[in-house]
Amino acid sequence: MAQALRKALVDWLDDNYHFGDAESLIGGDDDKSFLQNGILSSLGFVELLLFLEKSFGVRIERKDISPANFDSLRKIMNYVLAMPTYRGPR
Amino acid sequence: MSFVDVEFAFFFPAVLLLYWLLPRTRVAQNSFLLLASWVFYAGWNWKLLPLLLFGGVLDYLIGNYLGARPVSDPAQRRRRSTALAISLTWNLGALAFFKYVGFFAHSFNRLFEAAGLGATLPELQIILPLGISFYTLQRIGYIVDVYYERIAPSRSPLDFLLFTGFFPQLTAGPIARGAELLPQLAQPRRLQPGVLASAAATFLLGYMLKAWVADSIGSKIVDPVFGASADYSAGLHWLALFGYAMQVFADFAGYSLLAIGTARFFGIELPINFDSPFLARSLPEFWRRWHITLNRWLFDYIYNPLVSGSGWFRGRFYLTLVLVFLASGLWHGAALTFISWGLMHGIGMAVHRGWDEYLRRLCRKDRKYVTLRKSAGYAVAAWALTQLYFMLSLIPFHAFTLTEAVNFARDLFVAHGDRRLELGAIPKVNEILCVGFVILLHVLDMPAVRGTRERLLRVPAPIRGMAYGAVIVYLFLFVPVGASTFIYRQF
Repeated sequence: MAQALRKALVDWLDDNYHFGDAESLIGGDDDKSFLQNGILSSLGFVELLLFLEKSFGVRIERKDISPANFDSLRKIMNYVLAMPTYRGPR
Repeated sequence: MSFVDVEFAFFFPAVLLLYWLLPRTRVAQNSFLLLASWVFYAGWNWKLLPLLLFGGVLDYLIGNYLGARPVSDPAQRRRRSTALAISLTWNLGALAFFKYVGFFAHSFNRLFEAAGLGATLPELQIILPLGISFYTLQRIGYIVDVYYERIAPSRSPLDFLLFTGFFPQLTAGPIARGAELLPQLAQPRRLQPGVLASAAATFLLGYMLKAWVADSIGSKIVDPVFGASADYSAGLHWLALFGYAMQVFADFAGYSLLAIGTARFFGIELPINFDSPFLARSLPEFWRRWHITLNRWLFDYIYNPLVSGSGWFRGRFYLTLVLVFLASGLWHGAALTFISWGLMHGIGMAVHRGWDEYLRRLCRKDRKYVTLRKSAGYAVAAWALTQLYFMLSLIPFHAFTLTEAVNFARDLFVAHGDRRLELGAIPKVNEILCVGFVILLHVLDMPAVRGTRERLLRVPAPIRGMAYGAVIVYLFLFVPVGASTFIYRQF
């Protein structure tokens, strides 16, 4: 389940921002900060949140919107997989 | 009193000395800093001090009221919303009254006049409380963060009143988040020589940018041309506009460094406000580098909640961008010129987004566009376009009326005045050094050169001391006589 979610996230990054280079930017380090390494900008974050809500059936609470939950692949996966309404990539 | 006033040169060392002589406890340090902040504010206008205090007390109480009623308890939902509404009404109401009542009354009167109606609204001349645009946003950010349980409310009224009125950031930011400043205020500060040295270096850099760069360029290049536009050639209009971009940057980045340096002397770290904005290669990047604390506030508390919320604005990126920058323009000032400036940037951001989406679509279809997007040529063109757009947006930003802005924009292409700038040989070299200094600061921030900057900062202390000494002597010689105010203080 986690791998499918990871692939969906990398595909989204590729499809929207990096066009095949997302995996090399992440460089095998799923804890790499998106903001600090130019993988995603703060404007891109909002689009990521909309993507997560639309694609995985999760509802992200206002209080949770912070880099602490979404600034790396692992943080996103931990957050999304912990949501009771998570329904897997479509 | 501001950082470059003579009074500050007496006020600040006395406050600093007494602060570090006090017992190193939170209560002693915060009480003293709060008292010093009130004296600082009262030095400008003591009659408006109660406004600062009342808002601070109100938000302290509301923050704790919200903290005692968890978001998970549905029975409290209505009370929580009411408390939030009271805070927002007070904060935005005070801002609207002091900043915008006169502007809207004036605008309505002109409208009535144009429609041939005799009715007029009273046009009040109201003093704008110092720093209200900045501390209001900081307090709103705190209340919203507590409301959504992103942070716990401050339990100490002393810490909270200092959070909303700490004198280094009181007049023009940086606008701190509760999560950045409150934990620091909840701990006693210890004297660390390294931190003091860093504070002194930051303060000196800020002073150089403000008193030397901004004031030199402003008085010798910008003011003469903007002041008598018809007398100068089109080329000098471009030079003055370029100079104004340098001046605004040096003025506000300088102010921000002075604020950060001053706070650091007390062991308190404020967020950075500028990150080499003239390196930006797109408008979104520019606004992540320029007046960072205002722009992140606008995005955190207006843009993000609107486009990711459940309301009508959800997913409406373009419209929300325009709205956010209109708000930014209105925040800068109650005038059509600032609204036009905001509109220019809102449209600029929307156009950039449209272009980027188009290019991304091409990139998905064909890899050659990915190569184009990453090429040096594309980077240079994007950089030049971004910086040119920002520079042109400064025309309404500087002007007092839209007519003046339009005339200046026209003169960039058709002016034929033959008056020259009256610069002697030495001032001319000084102006070049001012611009060179801003460029150097940006170059040293480029990833390829960042190692050199780190090495420069690690040179032995005696050499650094001599360099600082030489800078101070140079400043004595070349800082324009007669203190000027900070451009952003008026906002």
